[in-house]
Amino acid sequence: MRKGLVPGRGFNLARLGNREISVLSNLQRITLFMLKSERGCYVRSLRLAELLKQSRLLGTGSFLFILSLVILIGLSHVTYAAETGGGGLGAGIDPSVENPYPDLLLETEDGLAGPDLLDDDPYLSEPEEVLGDPIFEDDFVFNVPPPNIFDPLEPVNRAIFVFNDKVYFWVLKPTKNVYSFVLPQDIRRSIGNAFANLAAPIRFLNNVLQGEFEDAGAVLSRFAINSTLGVFGFGDPAYVDFDIEPRLADFGQTLGKWSIGEGFYICLPFLGPSNVRDSVGFLGDVYMHPVPYFSESLTFDMAYLGVSRINLISISPDVYEELKRISLDPYVAARQAYYDYRRSEINP
Amino acid sequence: MKRLIVTALVLLHTLVAGSLLIADDHSPTAQLQPVIDQIIRILDDETLKGDGQKEQRRNQIMDTIASGFDFKEMSRRVLGPTWNEISETERDYFVTQFTKLLENVYVGKLESYGGRTVEFVAERIKGKRAQVTTLTPYEGSKIPIHYIMQRELDKWMVYDINIEGVSLVRNYKEQFRAIIQTRQYEGLIKTIEDKNKNFAE
Repeated sequence: MRKGLVPGRGFNLARLGNREISVLSNLQRITLFMLKSERGCYVRSLRLAELLKQSRLLGTGSFLFILSLVILIGLSHVTYAAETGGGGLGAGIDPSVENPYPDLLLETEDGLAGPDLLDDDPYLSEPEEVLGDPIFEDDFVFNVPPPNIFDPLEPVNRAIFVFNDKVYFWVLKPTKNVYSFVLPQDIRRSIGNAFANLAAPIRFLNNVLQGEFEDAGAVLSRFAINSTLGVFGFGDPAYVDFDIEPRLADFGQTLGKWSIGEGFYICLPFLGPSNVRDSVGFLGDVYMHPVPYFSESLTFDMAYLGVSRINLISISPDVYEELKRISLDPYVAARQAYYDYRRSEINP
Repeated sequence: MKRLIVTALVLLHTLVAGSLLIADDHSPTAQLQPVIDQIIRILDDETLKGDGQKEQRRNQIMDTIASGFDFKEMSRRVLGPTWNEISETERDYFVTQFTKLLENVYVGKLESYGGRTVEFVAERIKGKRAQVTTLTPYEGSKIPIHYIMQRELDKWMVYDINIEGVSLVRNYKEQFRAIIQTRQYEGLIKTIEDKNKNFAE
């Protein structure tokens, strides 16, 4: 169902040759890179521990600086957790402003666009069961499902939710406003493209782990094209000229597809809605992100994260404020939306 | 005079043909599309724009929505078992308050846009229920919005809207359940009334 390549749009594709060739040569490079990263993992965790130890001895100034960065990073997550599934570094930073819903355009089981939601009715235990005609009220029987979100820590979670709310309005939003004022939107979008491009390993590895090799190939093609023709990923010729849409994937989603349960609900400080599985997934994504492997300092990593998050929210709609506006109990609304969204991603 | 008669006949013919065309097609998409088109038309209507026309515009939009959306069914589904525990008068009052809430939340949001074309991309029917998938333009991108419908006699009526797996009915149902658990049905009605008052200010 995806559109074919259209010749004469920016590049002469016929002359450029088969894009699979470029994918293959880049596959070797990426494999090498992954191997190096794998080896670097242990060394890196040692260095991280060392840095953490040092940070205790840091002066108050640098400590506050790091703390504020952490807050910024986290808060952008509050807004985006519901939207991106809180899936970690790369999950939400996809640049497809024109079409952020590539899944809708892919083939589904019944050959129609989009997921089949008809079986996902809270009052239906049997998919084929038909509800009583509402004209005849007596036919209508409530087949009440048990609550399907396990939230034993609700009082604690609610307190953290309030805390995140305060940080959003006191820190994150003002920062975002200044940032958006200073940089025009198309520049912020290009920056967003570059951040997303660097997070490609997360999407590649997770697509592979999920057995979605076609999607993994698309991630690789996008990375290869955007890193070169797109000038370090600032542009998105992979989509504009080659019609290759982004394929999102994160480790929490991978774990979910491996049938690992959600565990209980957690509202993470700074990070927002999550659960046990997705919190583990988030840590996994951090380890799949290439930037920390090559950077020399934790401060740089934090700054990178902070800026990428601020940039992300500056080019996306205000999900959190909208949620607050439309709901009577924003905590429950956010929790439900998070679970619904994650479940629809994992079992489409 | 002759021209007038001819014009009248042509008009009548178009009207009859037009209504036959609609009557012919009982598919969920065919019944949802005119409702959505009409809402867009009202939003684009220059004579209805601006704060001064707000009430008139809202009334027209809500009348249109009511022809394709079943607020009573939505209310019943968001309340779940509580629906069976309250009296007929309380039910009617709940429907009006919940309808008002949806009006404030969604029509208020719609009003800030306008001038859009909705693409209808898929339709699924299972027994008495149907799902119509649309692509709705929003801030430079297209958002898939799924309308979940139920057949009531010969009419398909929307009772849920699903965006990215997030169902409107389920989201409110869970919120309402949490409120009823701690503050009973009376507390819920109070909360909805307050929220509606907040929007009015």
